[in-house]
Amino acid sequence: MRSVILDTLTGKRVPRRVDFAHILLVLCMLALVCFTALPMLAMVCRAFMPLDELYVYPPRIIVRRPTFSNFSDLLNSLNASEVPFTRYIFNSLLTTGATVFLTIFVSCAGAYGLAKFKPRGSKTIFAVITSALMFSSYVTQIPNYLIVTELGLVNSYWALILPKIAVAYNFFLVKQFADQLPDSILEAARIDGAGELKVFWTVAMPMLKPAWSTLAVFSFVSNWNDYFSALVYINKDAMKTLPLALQTLAGGAGVVARSGSVGAATLLTTVPTIVIFCILRGRVMQTMTYSGIKS
Amino acid sequence: MKKKTSADAAPEAVTAVTPEKPAKEKKPRTKRILTLERKHTLEVIIFLAPWIIGTAAFFLNPIISSMRLSFSEITQLKGFKMGWVGLKNFEYILAYDINFMPIFVTVVKDTLINTPLTLVFSLIIALLINKPFVGRGFFRTCFFIPVLLGSGYVMQQLLQIDAMGTVGVGIVLPPMLKGLLGNTISVVVQSFLDRITLILWHSGVQIILFLAGLQSINGTLYEAAKVDGATQWEMFWKITLPMISPIILLNFVYTMVMYFTSSDNELVAYIIDEVFVSQQFGQGAAMGWVYFLFVFALCGLVFGIIKLNSREKKGVTANGKRR
Repeated sequence: MRSVILDTLTGKRVPRRVDFAHILLVLCMLALVCFTALPMLAMVCRAFMPLDELYVYPPRIIVRRPTFSNFSDLLNSLNASEVPFTRYIFNSLLTTGATVFLTIFVSCAGAYGLAKFKPRGSKTIFAVITSALMFSSYVTQIPNYLIVTELGLVNSYWALILPKIAVAYNFFLVKQFADQLPDSILEAARIDGAGELKVFWTVAMPMLKPAWSTLAVFSFVSNWNDYFSALVYINKDAMKTLPLALQTLAGGAGVVARSGSVGAATLLTTVPTIVIFCILRGRVMQTMTYSGIKS
Repeated sequence: MKKKTSADAAPEAVTAVTPEKPAKEKKPRTKRILTLERKHTLEVIIFLAPWIIGTAAFFLNPIISSMRLSFSEITQLKGFKMGWVGLKNFEYILAYDINFMPIFVTVVKDTLINTPLTLVFSLIIALLINKPFVGRGFFRTCFFIPVLLGSGYVMQQLLQIDAMGTVGVGIVLPPMLKGLLGNTISVVVQSFLDRITLILWHSGVQIILFLAGLQSINGTLYEAAKVDGATQWEMFWKITLPMISPIILLNFVYTMVMYFTSSDNELVAYIIDEVFVSQQFGQGAAMGWVYFLFVFALCGLVFGIIKLNSREKKGVTANGKRR
């Protein structure tokens, strides 16, 4: 029995029929999934909970009397503001899209250059980047704000895009993959007469696809959800991003009267990330798991 | 199609070849090498420049000014003028601030408990998902979705649902069971459940990284071991674990840094509060630096230990255990 479980644990045994160990495994997984699924379920339910049910003790997870009043409340407060709702969506999509695109390009070029050309001081650069990973971005928020103000970017899209392009984590991720690009293929391309930029664009980039498609999802998620930098850099209503707009309209976390709308807003904020994930799911899962890190 | 690519490549090819060609016979040999080298550095600069500019402008520059800020005091808010105060800020947060040190200790303790647990859980889940079974895709998605929701405001919302500061929406012990277990035990069990919820919500990326590692292990290794009569247990410890050890290191550092820098971290919240609400910029920056240096030292320690360990292991195998 022990060896059967271990077989399944190490993934080297494929049960051909549904046997005891298989059922045990699925049950095990279901129990673990409960931990991640329950908060999600709660989040969905909270969006539909009437106010009195939100403050019941002990707290409920499943909604008893679902209502759409939270959404209509949210819509009412949205209509009351002067800026059309689509503007927020546009703002979010534009800044997030631009950030993702630019960070992919910049990180890939930099990581490729560092990994494959190994210029003098590349070790120092990489050390700086690795230590940058450990630095919480919140700490440098004030100096960052000063720089953005100096550049005159407050209340512009650039304020939300530029500071988030050269992110250490993205660089680190791509570098780990770029290190493993076989030199022989790049060399072959060079011998065939391709210039460095061409080698990068037509040979290295396709080979780095797992890295940058993963990066695309992560970067999209974190930039889409990030309302903190918008909170700092943007104070014009028309330039607010969707998460920030929803949170401010819903009244923030502390306001009791609108906590229903907060629930609805939270649910609405998650929709785009889920959609993006559903579109890219197959690719991300596959690239991440199958062609991820191979030597 | 092929013609087009060759035409495309032609001008570049010419430039690439020119240094080799003795175009001007008079040029000495060393000069030619230099130009090749110079061309090479130029290319490197082209690749690295956007990154370096971005980092310099929005990372190094803020970091330096935050370092300066930590030794200064804001004398005038308009124009942000700073006055040098030496170590006063550090003295204040370490000796006088009654909140900083306790929060610091709790955060460090929590992270040190959570990081290994996260690694163990994500490794187990990765091992389980790695094998084919019915509904594998579903489970995989289930474990990954928290990554999508788990950053930023949504996560904070989820964690703040209960005013007690714990995960209010996780698995809650039914009141009947609570009565049966008694107060102390049920509190322990409940906090354990909360911790697991928190950990599983944070382990999406780690699971994926482990999966990638597991998929990359060469199947022939297991076959060879099986032929030699190794049990599954031995294979796990002697093949799987050593093969994914680089990913364990990566995951370890990633997890630790993630816990230390996430916005639902109490200390980070305290620092943000200090800076944006109390507007004590100097003290906030000093706190940030104390915290960063600690995290940095801790990660350095982990790297050091693991490097030492792997060197020892290499020594053992070189001394003749292998072959």
